[in-house]
Amino acid sequence: MSANDLALAAAVTVMVAGAAGTVLTSDVPRLVISLGTFLLGVAAAFLVMGSPLLAVSQVFVYVGGVLVLVLFALMMVRRSGNEKPKVATRHDIGGAVIALGVFVLIASVMAPVAADPTPVVTAPNDIGAALLGPSLVAFELVGVLLLAALLAVLVIVKGGEDS
Amino acid sequence: MTFLWGLLWGLAAVMFIAGGAVIGVWWERKVSARIQMRLGPQQIGPAGVLQMVADVPKLLFKEDIVPDNADKPIFRYAPMAVFAPIAMSVAVIPFWAGWAPLDSTVGMVFYLAFPSIGVLGILLSAWASHNTLATIGGMRAAAQMVSYEVPRSLAVLSVIILAGSLQPTEVMEAWQWWWVPLTFVGFLVYFIASIAEMNRGPFDLPEAESELVAGYFSDYSGFRWAIFMMGEYGALISASLFGAAVFLGGYRWLPGVAGLAVFLVLAMVLITAVMWIKWTFPRLRQDQLMTFCWTVLTPLAIVQVVVAGVVALWL
Repeated sequence: MSANDLALAAAVTVMVAGAAGTVLTSDVPRLVISLGTFLLGVAAAFLVMGSPLLAVSQVFVYVGGVLVLVLFALMMVRRSGNEKPKVATRHDIGGAVIALGVFVLIASVMAPVAADPTPVVTAPNDIGAALLGPSLVAFELVGVLLLAALLAVLVIVKGGEDS
Repeated sequence: MTFLWGLLWGLAAVMFIAGGAVIGVWWERKVSARIQMRLGPQQIGPAGVLQMVADVPKLLFKEDIVPDNADKPIFRYAPMAVFAPIAMSVAVIPFWAGWAPLDSTVGMVFYLAFPSIGVLGILLSAWASHNTLATIGGMRAAAQMVSYEVPRSLAVLSVIILAGSLQPTEVMEAWQWWWVPLTFVGFLVYFIASIAEMNRGPFDLPEAESELVAGYFSDYSGFRWAIFMMGEYGALISASLFGAAVFLGGYRWLPGVAGLAVFLVLAMVLITAVMWIKWTFPRLRQDQLMTFCWTVLTPLAIVQVVVAGVVALWL
């Protein structure tokens, strides 16, 4: 076992611990800390596997962006007084089924790649060239998807008003 | 061995930022004292330097109050999550030709990405306080910091496009004097957005003392409050150093040690300018703040990116 394997094992341990904490706790701040731990673990795994750009982007977008917005939204809906809001769901089984489905989907896509885990491009310049070259259409489609999601949110938010 | 060096550099960065914060507080008090005729920081000791000696023990010996209703463990440790990422961001700043404490190939993104973890620390400490003012302050801080990250990153992107690299030392090597006029708008956007990122006046709505009683850290006292302050001054020092390096050319103006001196002087001028702005301009209103970010700074930053992109084609 090389030092690299050990580092990867440590990153995966952090990820699993964070993921378990996210699922098992219902107290919002602890949930956010667990999710943050998981996301930082993913960043560490990217770093160990030789993709520093992915690792830094992971921190930038997920820890600094998405997680902050999640916490922000939860604070917005928080009730007054000392009542501690809990994140609880009545859809344990349905949620687990969806999670399993997503896992199978991603695993089946990743399986052919897993046979040869050496990344094709890792240097920042090459990733940029690949995104704006061979993968341009996919890259732009993701942008359109995000725009559609934003517009959908606007429609949902404005939908309640008569106009 | 690498790990040991990392640990050593980490310790050095924390000492650098903590020491810088103490000097920064004193300098701020001198600047504000000049502007507003305050006498203390001008007269205690030579040039008022003993004010530092008076301030630090005061903070360290204050009672460490944790409110009964607070979520205690998170309340205690959330301030560290505000400070640590800012100390980390100093690591990638290029001080010397080909040398940064951590010379990462993705240093430019690293610099923008890590301080954003601090927003999480602010939100957590606001939440753990279980207090209305802290909650409002925390939400304001999050909205402001997430929004201003957009024009700030775009402004830095213009320099990245010109240099064609994400490695700070390579950006410095590629730097040319005419980038200063070319990216001047980008620099202004970076400078203004950085002030908003560190929650300083006139963008200090999250901690507005007259309406929110210090906002997200209103329940903090003593050294935990001091950690928030160290984070704020750390962000001030770090943003000024980074801006002086990648936008204003840092050490590239003169060779050798003289270059380093120019770099540090440029950074100090920026630090003083931030303080000057804080003590001169009135605080914005929340809606003005958000409108300014999305309708003025972001479009300006995008124009700057386009200009840099067109010029980069000719390079």
